[in-house]
Amino acid sequence: MSGRRALSFGLALALALPTVAEAQSAGVSRYVLANGVRVLVRESGDAGVVAVSLQVRAGSRFETAETAGITNFLHRAMLRGTGRRSGEQLVEAAERLGGSLDASGEVEYAEVRGSALARHWEALLGLVAEVALTPTLPADEVEKERRLILSQIQTREDNPFPLAFDTLLRELYGPHPYGLRTLGRRESVAALGREDLLAHHRSIYRPDRLVLAISGRIERDRVRRTVEQLFGGLRIVAERPVDAAPAPAPTGVRRVLERPAQQAQILVGYLAPGLSEPDYPAVKVLAALLGGGMSGRLFVELRDNRGLAYQVTALSPPRAGPGFLVAYMGTARENIPAAEAGMLRELERIPPEGVGEEEVARAKAHVLGSLAMDRRTNARHAWYLAFYEVVGAGWEFPERYARAVEAVTAVDVRAVAQRYLRRPTTVVLEPR
Amino acid sequence: MLRLTRIAFALLVLLVFSACTVGRSIPVARAPAGPTRHVLPNGVRVVVERHEASDVVALQLWVQAGGRDETASELGLAHYLEHMLFKGTATRPGGFIDREVEGVGGRMNAGTSLDYTYYHLLLPARRALVGIDILSDISVNASLDDGQLEREKRVVLEEMRLGEDAPMRFLFRQLYEAVFDGHPYGRPVIGRADLIRVLTRDQLMRFYRQHYVPESFTLVVAGAVSPPEVLEAAARTFGRLPRSGVGRLPVSPVTGARPKNVELVRPGTYAYLGLAWPAPRLDHADTPAVDLLVAILGQSRSSRLTRSVRERLGLVNTISAGYSALEGAGVITLTAQLDPANLARAEAEILKELRRLREQGVGRAELERALTTEEARREFRAETAEGRAFVLGHAETIWRLEEELAYTDRLRSVTREQIHAAARRYLDSERFARVVFVPSSAR
Repeated sequence: MSGRRALSFGLALALALPTVAEAQSAGVSRYVLANGVRVLVRESGDAGVVAVSLQVRAGSRFETAETAGITNFLHRAMLRGTGRRSGEQLVEAAERLGGSLDASGEVEYAEVRGSALARHWEALLGLVAEVALTPTLPADEVEKERRLILSQIQTREDNPFPLAFDTLLRELYGPHPYGLRTLGRRESVAALGREDLLAHHRSIYRPDRLVLAISGRIERDRVRRTVEQLFGGLRIVAERPVDAAPAPAPTGVRRVLERPAQQAQILVGYLAPGLSEPDYPAVKVLAALLGGGMSGRLFVELRDNRGLAYQVTALSPPRAGPGFLVAYMGTARENIPAAEAGMLRELERIPPEGVGEEEVARAKAHVLGSLAMDRRTNARHAWYLAFYEVVGAGWEFPERYARAVEAVTAVDVRAVAQRYLRRPTTVVLEPR
Repeated sequence: MLRLTRIAFALLVLLVFSACTVGRSIPVARAPAGPTRHVLPNGVRVVVERHEASDVVALQLWVQAGGRDETASELGLAHYLEHMLFKGTATRPGGFIDREVEGVGGRMNAGTSLDYTYYHLLLPARRALVGIDILSDISVNASLDDGQLEREKRVVLEEMRLGEDAPMRFLFRQLYEAVFDGHPYGRPVIGRADLIRVLTRDQLMRFYRQHYVPESFTLVVAGAVSPPEVLEAAARTFGRLPRSGVGRLPVSPVTGARPKNVELVRPGTYAYLGLAWPAPRLDHADTPAVDLLVAILGQSRSSRLTRSVRERLGLVNTISAGYSALEGAGVITLTAQLDPANLARAEAEILKELRRLREQGVGRAELERALTTEEARREFRAETAEGRAFVLGHAETIWRLEEELAYTDRLRSVTREQIHAAARRYLDSERFARVVFVPSSAR
């Protein structure tokens, strides 16, 4: 911590060096500061706003049962005070810019993010850098945050869907850290000390792990000067390879949880490829064919034709790997046998029967449409640029991915179904 | 926060979402031209705004029919009908969403509220005219097939169960019921299980014929489209519907609310506390002052309740204030999740903050922050075509478009004295509706 705090902004300016490597496409420019911080700038004049996403390669993927939740805890605490401002002053400063400032730990990354009216872009970048590089983690504020995080863990466990989902990921990943919650475990969050958080900050805020993305009504040359002042001084540390994670070991069991609830939850999950693997686009098409929108097989069969659910969908978020595919529905207690059998039937008939070209075309349109629709606000653009860069896929990944999705055929979808839809792991939450 | 939260709060007590689109950003600076508004000869209103941030077009059909238009025996009809409009028309059989919307990367969804129902399409801009055709078709030609109608009952019953498992949503429903006791605004938009089970096609058809008429429709189109082409397409489709000659009944007046106290035991670990007050309706001179008052009280991390009750005293896990301005009445809500042991003290501290606000009014700096936040929300909302279309359709349906367009200026003209007066008028620290969920584990 001390090393970072010593970096005054003036000093950082003095240390700023010319950048290496540069790329540019579709209003986006990429460059790397001399110390290794990657920067992505997207100029767009559509709305008078600006959004920043600073992502660091850290998060629950790199945690253990003992440290579970440390990245999120650290980031929540970082918002509670810096060398210059208290937590209250930070919040007020962001609101005066017409924006917001937030930070959290996720699965593949941790993020300090903010938004503001475009004219305040420079002040916004300053606030993001201040929170990321000079947090003080005041002891009493760390305790307040601990209490809030413990209450969020409890709330997840009290709510049927989050409880069932967290349970399924644990069963699916076994010892692999993708089975951990980003919030952590009650025991780990209770035991983590301020010193642990400070040490974690020192270990992850290294230039080679950082990506800064900014999108909005901005000028890239001016942004570049400011970014070099703010982040150029971050000291290079000797590279340390990322620890390999233990291999996932799905239990393949059917776990039943009993809880007081109105609705039963049924989740069926499988391991799936990571986002850089060649099978990934076809698995995304498979997920959309099953659970995308109102014309996915699960929706049509289980909701439209049989009235078994209001919510029914399939999830397969991007993971560096291995990913997962989870089918989900909520239903009445008495429908559990029919709903679960119906869902498994829809999943298990694909490998032997295959799928039609027409529904593959519809599913592809859905995947591509979702991607395009999700990347419309400046905040989402900044997130996309930073996320794919920080996980190592490269910021232009979505364009490559879109081309790969377009090339997926019904034969590909059946092949990935045969490869991945085997040995389901199931969690059923039964209302008591 | 302000306007958007006000709308979002209304969305909390309603429901239904289900269903995507193709777009590529064109990084071009854009001069906001503002919407154009036309009324077709049969009364259908058409609002069009060019929005060129992407080549996605948002098309929305707004209908002046919602939960408040139901009689006591019709509870849930407006929402049920909304579900059924996705099932096909005479010339457009079921599965049209698959073929015409999702098959081209688009999305369709809808929402039912107390004052309105709206249907929402997102499509590649070149498909805008197809979208207008879909909306005009479902607006009067839905088949309401008997078999599908029966099957959908189970779906809506599931939706009901889902709502009861979500504590905050359930808390809002209970608060509305307490504040609008006996008034249509106090009834659940989703209906009641016993009424849904016996609902018939005849009932639904009667409601459809009565409320889905040209005079109650607004078509909103925001996107990279040509307004004259949109208008022409609207005239060719919506313009051909026969006028009904019947107007909507006004909202029945909300009579003076009595202080009401509701306590329910629910599963879980934490307690939920909700307090609510009757507040000005959308079309009221005090609305902007109340909007700012509620923002300062509890809509951001720097607002008073968050700072004092959550951060300084540590009595709650979450706390927020909301203002929902409906067409005929409004409601201010304060909601918190907390440890059941803190219930009494948290409520006392919340009321202490209210008294301080009533006695001393608001500060210059916090007012300025609330205003800046509102200015920013406007810009952020304009980032997507559907965000913009929602605001325009909402205003045209239950308010007036020009009021909406001038709203930020009205907020800017609100004085600290007016906010202070609104606090005294609306935030009575002794008379209010109170709903508490006590966790079963605390008993």
